[in-house]
Amino acid sequence: MDSFGAFVRDRREALRQTDRRYSLRQVAERIGVEPSYLSKVERGEVAPPSEETIVRLARELDVLPDVLLALAGKVSSDLLDTIRKRPLLFGQLLRELRDLPDHAVLRLVREVRDGDW
Amino acid sequence: MIELQNDALVFRFPEVHEDAVLRIEFQRTLRIPDDDRDYPLPPGLGRFPLAHVDDFADRVPGRWREHGGVMLPMYQSEAMWLSFNSPDGYPFAVKVATGKVNAATGEPWATGLNRDPQDYLSIPRQPWLDGYCVERGIIRQFVAMPLGAGYTAEEQITGEAAHGGLQLAAYPAKAEVYERMKRRRAEIHRVVASPMVVFECAGSAASDMGLAPGGRMQQEIYEDPYKAADWELGATSRCFVHIANSLVWRQITGDNPPTVPPTAAEYQRAGLPWFRWYGEGETALPGGGRLKGLKSIFNLGKVKGDVPLPENTSVEPGHVVPLGNGVVREGSF
Repeated sequence: MDSFGAFVRDRREALRQTDRRYSLRQVAERIGVEPSYLSKVERGEVAPPSEETIVRLARELDVLPDVLLALAGKVSSDLLDTIRKRPLLFGQLLRELRDLPDHAVLRLVREVRDGDW
Repeated sequence: MIELQNDALVFRFPEVHEDAVLRIEFQRTLRIPDDDRDYPLPPGLGRFPLAHVDDFADRVPGRWREHGGVMLPMYQSEAMWLSFNSPDGYPFAVKVATGKVNAATGEPWATGLNRDPQDYLSIPRQPWLDGYCVERGIIRQFVAMPLGAGYTAEEQITGEAAHGGLQLAAYPAKAEVYERMKRRRAEIHRVVASPMVVFECAGSAASDMGLAPGGRMQQEIYEDPYKAADWELGATSRCFVHIANSLVWRQITGDNPPTVPPTAAEYQRAGLPWFRWYGEGETALPGGGRLKGLKSIFNLGKVKGDVPLPENTSVEPGHVVPLGNGVVREGSF
């Protein structure tokens, strides 16, 4: 899971350049883990933390939780619940979407309907 | 295309550029006193919940179904500000209207972009908008009032309570303008070696709210630094944001609206910060026009012999935080 740790470190360091509150120690404190543990996570020496910690870390680093979870090889529990409700349908859907370009996938997103005004 | 994502409107223009993404949030905030003093920026107290009008089609007024779009709950005399964020710094021109009256000029809603007077905000230069641009460097805060009571900017300017709510339209810059900007940014990046700061009701007319001008606040609406030809006028998305009285929101959606925000006096007593934003080297629009003639809710109430605001104690903001470099305009209460 090197990519997860490296991403977290790069993002945190980038933020730290303009704001010292993004030191390893302070970020660890804010997300409720030991600095030594976060350091190991960033170096890829331990597996990524739990989903809850990853979501807290994502908020802290201002990245989408789904992105950080995906880098950690995880899927958020709400997405898992969604798939579990209709496993065949969503399995098939995701496989079909796999190779589509981004703009085609975006067409499936529910749009806010504009009416007459 | 516009998508509803975590109580934010996300505008995307993948046909123009993959980075052409704009996020607009509706922030809860405290109502600044309507006492003709100029106040600094109040905090953000979290986002208003947003819902598709279509999801509650059988419980909203027919006009809302015609308009489409989304809805949010506000208490009478509650204030709001809009935050704009383009994650990659992609430039957008955004028009904001309330009751189809332009919040920058006071002119009726029109398609396209007008530069003189400038009737749109230039994003990412403009990180937020708190109200009507009544004069250079001063806005009057967006405050929810029932449509039909005569206080909304729409009713004061047009004499009618026809539309209510809030209307938005976004125009992305042309892809080549963004690419040119990105190249320049990369060059600056190398020189200074620091990351760029990215600014970052059921059925009855009584449920329908509009926005009215409240107290005065120091906020500049910036002149567009781009040329007219830089905007991709062929690509636009627009959205009607309906405002439901919070008390009716529960009947429509089954969900509780957010709690009543603190008053300015309560917030001040708690010693919490206010904010000030310094736009460096940017020119502020003169504002005014038809908006100059707007009467604030309190002043119009006096004329009507009415007390439209439940609480309007003046405060002296003590702790004012300058914004920039990633400081977030948020408060907790």
